[in-house]
Amino acid sequence: MEEYPEELRTPPVTLASLVGCPELHSLISTHFMSAQPPINTLALPDVSKIIYLFNNKTDSDPTPTAPSPLVPGIFKRDWLLKHRTKLPAILAALFPSHHLTGDPAQWQQLCSDLDSIKAVIRGRNIKFAVVVVVNDNVDEISEDRMIALRKRAEVDAKYVIVLNPNDAANLKLSLHRMASTFSELAVAYYREEGRRVKQRIEKKNVNSVELIVRYCFKVAVYAEFRSDWPEALKFYEEAYHTLREIVGVTTRLPAVQRLVEIKTIAEQLHFKISTLLLHSGKVTEAVAWFRQHKNAYKRLVGAPEGTFLHWEWMSRQFLVFGELLETSSKTTQGFAPIILSTSSKPLCEWEYYPAYYYQLAAHYLSEKRSVLELAISMSETNNEIDSVVDSVVPSVYVGQFARLLEQGDNVDMLPLTDEEYICYAVSEGKRFRDSLEIIALLKKAYESYSSIKIMRMSSFCGFQMAKEYFAEGDIGNAKQILDTIASLYRKEGWVTLLWDVLGYLRECSRKVGAIKDFVEYSLEMAALPISSDTGVRRDIGLAGPANLLQREIVHNEVFELVNGDSGLATNERINNLKITEGESLQLEVDLVSPLRLVMLASVSFHEQTVKPGASTLITISLLSRLPLTVDIDGLEIQFNQSNCNFLITNGQKSQLVEVSDGIQQHRTEIAPSLSLQSNKWLRLTYDVQTDKSGKLECLSVIAKIGSHLSICCRAESPASLDSLPLWTLGDFVQTVPIKDPILVLSGQKSTQVEEPDPLVDLHLGASGPALVGEVFLVPVTLVSKGHDVYSGELKINLVDVKGGGLFSPRDNEPHAMDSHHVQLLGISGPEGEDDSQLDSDKIKKIQQSFGLISVPIIKNGDSWSCKLEIKWHRPKPIMLYVSLGYSPYSDELNTQTVHVHKNLQIEGHNAIVLYHQYLMPFRQDPLLLSKNKKASESDHSESLPLNQKNVLVVSAKNCTELPLRLKSMSIEVEDNAERTCSIQHGSEELANPALLVPGEEFKKVFSVSSNKNKSKLSLGTVCLRWRRDLGVEEQCATTSTLSWVVTKQKLPNVNLELPPLIVSFECPPYAVVGDPFTYYIRISNQTQLLQEIKYSLGDAQSFVLSGYHNDTIYVLPKSEHILSYKLVPLVSGMQQLPKFSMTSVRYSAAYQPSNSSNSVFIFPSKPHFKATVSTNSRVESVVNL
Amino acid sequence: MIVCVAVVGHQNNPLFIQSFTEADDALKLHHIVHCSLDVVDERVNNPKKSGPMLNETFLGLLYPIENYKVYGYLTNTKVKFILVTTDLDVKDADVRNFFRRFHAAYVDAVSNPFHVPGKKITSRTFAERVSTIVKSFGFSSAG
Repeated sequence: MEEYPEELRTPPVTLASLVGCPELHSLISTHFMSAQPPINTLALPDVSKIIYLFNNKTDSDPTPTAPSPLVPGIFKRDWLLKHRTKLPAILAALFPSHHLTGDPAQWQQLCSDLDSIKAVIRGRNIKFAVVVVVNDNVDEISEDRMIALRKRAEVDAKYVIVLNPNDAANLKLSLHRMASTFSELAVAYYREEGRRVKQRIEKKNVNSVELIVRYCFKVAVYAEFRSDWPEALKFYEEAYHTLREIVGVTTRLPAVQRLVEIKTIAEQLHFKISTLLLHSGKVTEAVAWFRQHKNAYKRLVGAPEGTFLHWEWMSRQFLVFGELLETSSKTTQGFAPIILSTSSKPLCEWEYYPAYYYQLAAHYLSEKRSVLELAISMSETNNEIDSVVDSVVPSVYVGQFARLLEQGDNVDMLPLTDEEYICYAVSEGKRFRDSLEIIALLKKAYESYSSIKIMRMSSFCGFQMAKEYFAEGDIGNAKQILDTIASLYRKEGWVTLLWDVLGYLRECSRKVGAIKDFVEYSLEMAALPISSDTGVRRDIGLAGPANLLQREIVHNEVFELVNGDSGLATNERINNLKITEGESLQLEVDLVSPLRLVMLASVSFHEQTVKPGASTLITISLLSRLPLTVDIDGLEIQFNQSNCNFLITNGQKSQLVEVSDGIQQHRTEIAPSLSLQSNKWLRLTYDVQTDKSGKLECLSVIAKIGSHLSICCRAESPASLDSLPLWTLGDFVQTVPIKDPILVLSGQKSTQVEEPDPLVDLHLGASGPALVGEVFLVPVTLVSKGHDVYSGELKINLVDVKGGGLFSPRDNEPHAMDSHHVQLLGISGPEGEDDSQLDSDKIKKIQQSFGLISVPIIKNGDSWSCKLEIKWHRPKPIMLYVSLGYSPYSDELNTQTVHVHKNLQIEGHNAIVLYHQYLMPFRQDPLLLSKNKKASESDHSESLPLNQKNVLVVSAKNCTELPLRLKSMSIEVEDNAERTCSIQHGSEELANPALLVPGEEFKKVFSVSSNKNKSKLSLGTVCLRWRRDLGVEEQCATTSTLSWVVTKQKLPNVNLELPPLIVSFECPPYAVVGDPFTYYIRISNQTQLLQEIKYSLGDAQSFVLSGYHNDTIYVLPKSEHILSYKLVPLVSGMQQLPKFSMTSVRYSAAYQPSNSSNSVFIFPSKPHFKATVSTNSRVESVVNL
Repeated sequence: MIVCVAVVGHQNNPLFIQSFTEADDALKLHHIVHCSLDVVDERVNNPKKSGPMLNETFLGLLYPIENYKVYGYLTNTKVKFILVTTDLDVKDADVRNFFRRFHAAYVDAVSNPFHVPGKKITSRTFAERVSTIVKSFGFSSAG
């Protein structure tokens, strides 16, 4: 596109000419440039210069007086340029205002200037405008003078513009007005010019078709000047179609030049049309237009000697259209959806990619190059024509060339013959290096395709580009591109294409002497799955035809090279590649390497685990896809434990293969034959022995072929053997690396070497179940029985037996600092060893359920012990895992560790179960209204009467299998809580720790009373201090050394309420048969209300009683009513008193006293008690059996 | 005249490629077939651009090169058939008909119990049948 002249590439811009007042020109022209539409200005300092502007017109008049020897062409070369830069559409004369108002001489001068301007523009139809430049005030100019000026200049009033450059405020406005006036005038001018030319076409009296083309072109250009794009497009198309008609008709010029001219014109017209279409966003039309253009001219090859001109022209069409498409797609993102079925030949989406055009441009350019090369070789240039060639210049017509003949001062243009022209064109063609151009085009296409992820197209372009680079000798670029292409072809399995690319790559590496690359590419080529001829015969590239024979040739070539058979080296091609003596060439084959085709190593251990020191079998299987058998001199098998490495040498070859590292002496095995046949597994089985525990993995298998080449294959497990990409896609039988059907599926390239059996005993001595709350000690003893223990580490793990965690974050227990149910508190060392004495480098890490402690050095036969302190917060069985890891050797290098594991399940039990009970004082019953409701409600909290003394009995039951010792039981109230009740005997210790045998209960009685009127009463927490009974050691144990376990249980809150009625019974503690006593029933009304009570007393067989059986009584507020009965016991023994029941009418509550409180012991006769029985000391605690 | 037909598998690997030209080089045709896979990919990945082509096995003209036209066909199992022809004026119906017969031949070939799916088609019968179909291309629209 750049080779087109500027005036063709850019849309035309109106040209205006300014005359006079040169100081204002730059101001005006700057403003005009930025005006909308822009106007170019042609500035002339004064009127006298006008002549120079227009006088050259006579020279280039299209109808010269002297007949030119040249045949008139279709377009004149400078016509468009002239209209854009020389011939203004409008001429504006600038006069300072004082010329109008000043002395008559100035006015005269002005008038004469106007006259001369009018004389010049007359007949050209150029529009005229006058600009009066005022410096101070407009009013200075009289109206008469203005009219006189207008008359003199023969212009309309609106074309006389007043400009005041000093008036900053109005300057912009006046300039703007000026610009719009000028563009109006210019549009008028171009319209008139266009109409004038159009009339000539319409008259149809134009004698030649060429002139119609020219006129159409002119009309279109004029339309473009006034931005009338549809009209411009119409006439460009008209010109284009007319031009198409004269192809083959016109005979004005010799045949070759005629075609060249027509094509050049067509190219320009097409360029204009495409530009206009694309600018208006009609991409589809533009593409369709281009296709039509291309098809129309594709066949117009012309004379055979000028074929290259045609291809060059074609290439340019594609290039230019591609560039246009690219620039337009940048501005208008995302073209319209493709309409595929608008016509019989639908457009394809590919035709919207600029890369497509670049690619074809490159294609045609390479066509041109080949034809041109032929033409150059054929044209035996003679001197006569050479001299002609030197003087050929472009003629005044577009697309024509002429000979410049200088005769003295006269310069003549002479027409050319076709032979001369072809010679000229050939010599011009020689000057350009087409391959660079082709590379540039292909690169554009390559990058453009790559950017939109069209990889295969871009690869194809890249391949062509690389071939050009290769031909140019730019090996580096070629190789880089080819490598990326090869990977795509490898991935998709296009073997023939890959073969071709590899052929180039191989040649590239040969040319630069990269021997390793050469060998790699050659081997890959030889191993490609090509069995039969693919039918590629012509243009076989550098690799030769892709068939089995060629593979074998490549194979032999590369092995000749690496074997260094210099004596046999008949191959001229690889002469520049030599491997010097002692140089080695190692090829790495990993999982993604294309050389896996060449050699594939599958390694499988026969056993998954082995004992240390025992030997295991290992099978090494090698597979090669090379077409011919390869004899391997030696195989080196490398493991991650280097002392296992071994060598396999070929028994048929006498010479020993040197060990690669040479330092360590490895085991060497001799195999009878190491020849690797094509597509057949070579299987070798040997045994391997190692002492080290851990993973033993085969890393690589290095095959040594000849004295220089070694191929290092990464070992692969047969179980995870990736299939070869190219060969799986092809039709080839899959074989398995190992015959053993199990190993094929499960064989691994690594095995686990077990660690030696530990010779250390680990004892966990735990005595019985653990009790919740106590610190449970688990003694751990290490006894060495054959191994010294170095750098030993003891790991302790606590795991819930049932699974799940040892803690639950939801539980929020007040007595556990954290939420762990079972906690490892610490590890205490052996007797006499304190924590502080441990070395600083000793590890000791204790976490909730995990502990790590380092073990000191234990010599053989010695022992060491420690104790684990574990505390249960909840009854829970746990599994204790203890593992010892140690090294039997003291040296740092041998880091082999031995592990001993032990586990022990420990149950955690609750030692003591606490429960409690509330009692009222003997034979006294308050009416608690809430108790009556309780049946219907779910509130199970206890209720206690207010202001009454209540008895609380707390019992602790030993529910273990072991005897326990109790130190104290107390009720503790939270410090911060308000004391809401009084508890007597709360915190008194037992004088001696009480022994509590399994199943036994300990009870303690507390009395509770409260006078706070509070519905909820918090009583506190029962604290029980206990420990295990030490049995026989109990005597010697002192209280100070023993730690007591504290079990706490919070008492539930109780309700307090005021009982409205309290019934209490009074009767003697005992009675004697036949001896009457009085039985009082006291009903106390605690309320302010009168209480109506219905009561009844039942008969009892054991007693004779006197009094009312049934009655209704009224108890006054805050008073009590006493019922008294006289009873005579009849029977001795424990007897039920007569059953009393009452009903409170107000509360509709019935009262039934309990049986236990309602009985009395009847002696048969009066007993005799000693006076000392009644004592003041109270029994504080009662132990019930 | 048909110059090349190809069957391309899921991984865009060639399953069968046969050129029917003495004059031209097969390698170039291989390149053309390979490049045309880009167009197939594009059509399959951007179905909205194709509009009415949706759900049709026949992909139509894939792309025009200077002397060839490339047509594509996508089976329900996503195997691609590519046809390269030198006729610049080909009737769509002819191409459709060709692909239909070609597809039938392909189905017969892969129904062979000895054929491993995804592997190259080596059946000689298939090749012969394809040759017959190619030779009759354009002569009979009835098929």
